[in-house]
Amino acid sequence: MTESLSLSALIMFIFGTIVCYGGLLYFLYRAFKGRRK
Amino acid sequence: MAAIGSAVGLGNVWRFPYIAYNNGGGAFLIPYFIALFTAGIPMLILEFTLGHWGRSAPPEAYRKIGRKWEWVGWWSSLVPFVITAYYVVIMAWCFAYMIFAIDLRWGTTTESFFLEKFLGVTSGPLSIGGIQIPALLALIIMWISIFLILYKGIARIGKVVLISVPVAWILFVILAIRGVTLPGAMTGINYYLTPDFSRLLDVNVWLAAYGQVFFSLSLAQGIMISYASYLHKKSDLSNNAFITALADTGTSFLAGFAVFSVVGYLALMQGIGIEQLKITGPSLTFITYPTAISLFPVAAGLFGILFYLALFTFGLDSAFSMIEPITSGIQTKWRFTKGKATALICFLGFLSSIIFITGGGLYWLEIVDQFISNFGLVLVGLVECLIIGWVFHLPRLRSHANKTSDIRIGRWWDLLIKYIIPLVLTSLLLIAVYDLLITPPTYPLEALLIGGATPCIIVFILSFFFVRIKGKKEGSR
Repeated sequence: MTESLSLSALIMFIFGTIVCYGGLLYFLYRAFKGRRK
Repeated sequence: MAAIGSAVGLGNVWRFPYIAYNNGGGAFLIPYFIALFTAGIPMLILEFTLGHWGRSAPPEAYRKIGRKWEWVGWWSSLVPFVITAYYVVIMAWCFAYMIFAIDLRWGTTTESFFLEKFLGVTSGPLSIGGIQIPALLALIIMWISIFLILYKGIARIGKVVLISVPVAWILFVILAIRGVTLPGAMTGINYYLTPDFSRLLDVNVWLAAYGQVFFSLSLAQGIMISYASYLHKKSDLSNNAFITALADTGTSFLAGFAVFSVVGYLALMQGIGIEQLKITGPSLTFITYPTAISLFPVAAGLFGILFYLALFTFGLDSAFSMIEPITSGIQTKWRFTKGKATALICFLGFLSSIIFITGGGLYWLEIVDQFISNFGLVLVGLVECLIIGWVFHLPRLRSHANKTSDIRIGRWWDLLIKYIIPLVLTSLLLIAVYDLLITPPTYPLEALLIGGATPCIIVFILSFFFVRIKGKKEGSR
């Protein structure tokens, strides 16, 4: 039984996190910026 | 927020992690994101724009495209109504399990507790059996909750989702954090995320990605059209589509950690491989997860309550959103009050749900779900793309979206709606037909005809029938 994340799984974790949550934060930022205009 | 609440549902928790694991693990994220950006988001923009442009319920919005297309609006509103009939039953199970979690009532025999004691499952769909009282009580509570949320209209929906969506998210973050701190959790997460890039050459993996995006975003159910009709005239449609799609994907991605960490823990505790555990659908939620919860070293009951509360909250937002299109369609066409239309639909929904809490209910649920998801939704989506792409002047809809949107949509959008998405949906449909023909049926033919084909045909015929019934003077929001 492994108790650490494999390197390839870690890379996919970072990739998924950046696209999902980075993207979400970016579009939320655009929405708030648009609302302030 | 209501659109996010609608998109995020049980599918994010019990379908996405399993589909990802089965289709290349972490590598599945690549086709999934491509599907999201080439089909999910363009379709969301389409539905948001149609609802915003038509400023009315789906039947009326399609009527504005052309009188002869009103039936498509009714069709896309009736399909989610059928889904709600069994979706609410699953919500009722979650609600009941939330209470059972207090004293871990399922004990050590989770499978027999769920199937025999709680559901009273019979030998097959044609043997209906009795109705279990706890499930019936939970079902009544569910339908009353949906009625109370919906009958006052969009203002109350707005208030509910403003609390329920963030609460469900916070709960899932807590569950994921607790999950990854359990022994064996990393083994489970490695199963979930380790990429197998060779699977990217398999066309079925790509179709699975498109299928998952399509179902997960509540597309072709009239929901997004209905919600968008309430949006402010100056709402940024394309940005809203991106936010909804990424919030939904983010939830699925997070759910994978909550699911696989606990599955890894259970595999370690039982000394078996993860592949031997049931990690999808009702089996994951009501058999595998309770088994793992019972083995938790501390605060097992609390973890159970939080898990079922999170599922219940996610599901509730989706459940009432699926009722909204047909309710507002009836309200607009026959000038019913919101309360009257909601009461009528909730009552009919409750009656339709009863079959799913009988002893044969679990089988019927599986049959209806398979047919409605594989054929009903895909067909509605295909017709939606063909009518809007080929009959309606698509650049007109695009310019409507661009008027209020920060992110300008180009001609690429027309290309996706007219060619790419119909091609993908046709492939999904052909694969579903092929699977149906070559796979030996699990259920008797009469059960497949009654539970699978009949609801799809009835819904299709009813959509024409609703057009024929004369409505009162129709208006828009």
